Amino acid sequence: MALEVLLIEDSKTQAAQIKETLESVGLQVRVAYDGPEGLREATENPPVLIVLDVKLPSMDGFQVCRRLKRNPVTQHIPVIMLTEKAGPQATISGLRAGADDYIPKDIFASEHLINTLQELGILE
Amino acid sequence: MTARSPYPTRPPILSVKVEDTMDIMIARDTARRAATLLGFTSARRAQLASATAALAELVLKTGDLHEIRLNGVIDGVKIGLQISVVTPWLTGVSANNVLVALRSKIGELVDDILFLGDEDPTIFLLMWLHDVHYDENEV
Repeated sequence: MALEVLLIEDSKTQAAQIKETLESVGLQVRVAYDGPEGLREATENPPVLIVLDVKLPSMDGFQVCRRLKRNPVTQHIPVIMLTEKAGPQATISGLRAGADDYIPKDIFASEHLINTLQELGILE
Repeated sequence: MTARSPYPTRPPILSVKVEDTMDIMIARDTARRAATLLGFTSARRAQLASATAALAELVLKTGDLHEIRLNGVIDGVKIGLQISVVTPWLTGVSANNVLVALRSKIGELVDDILFLGDEDPTIFLLMWLHDVHYDENEV
């Protein structure tokens, strides 16, 4: 059975691209389109990994990450934050929120995402 | 051309030429690769990548070609990653002022920031691997 990843991303176009990357390495992907939906999905059916966009409506990715890491049901799940803002302060904020990696959405994003999945032991 | 590295170097040894905005992305990617080769965790790779990109953005503003070097370093039994760039435009500038400016921007992303060299002033960023000890017999 394929391992399941929860992707929390409000842009349908970007969600489709990231989903394609994750599915290309054999993972099954569920998509939540905002923070509250993502938190609900993560709690009701915990995935092996959460890929989280920073810029989300109603609740940003940092808030979502902090809530995931405070919840005993979800705090053990690795979180990779994907962002268009990858400056020093944003990186520090992401890591302080408890993210396991903070990856900019650039041309190397897919490669970095897969490398991180390997390092976390989700992919061989 | 570079100020003498404060620490003995070890592989990996990589470099990136920075002359346009695309090179910032390449610098970030190269830092991740170097950090991966040395065994840094994903969170610390993200910090190193962000610090290297910030350094690339800084030197790009001068309008001159710069080369950012990334290499492993050894300090006793500690292993780390050193990111350095020669900054001739900072000749004669107070090292203290340079360090204050760099620390305010990227100080939280790396373990040490150094600014050395009178003739070839060079910025060095360092991040040390925790719980990994250098054994010369393994090399």
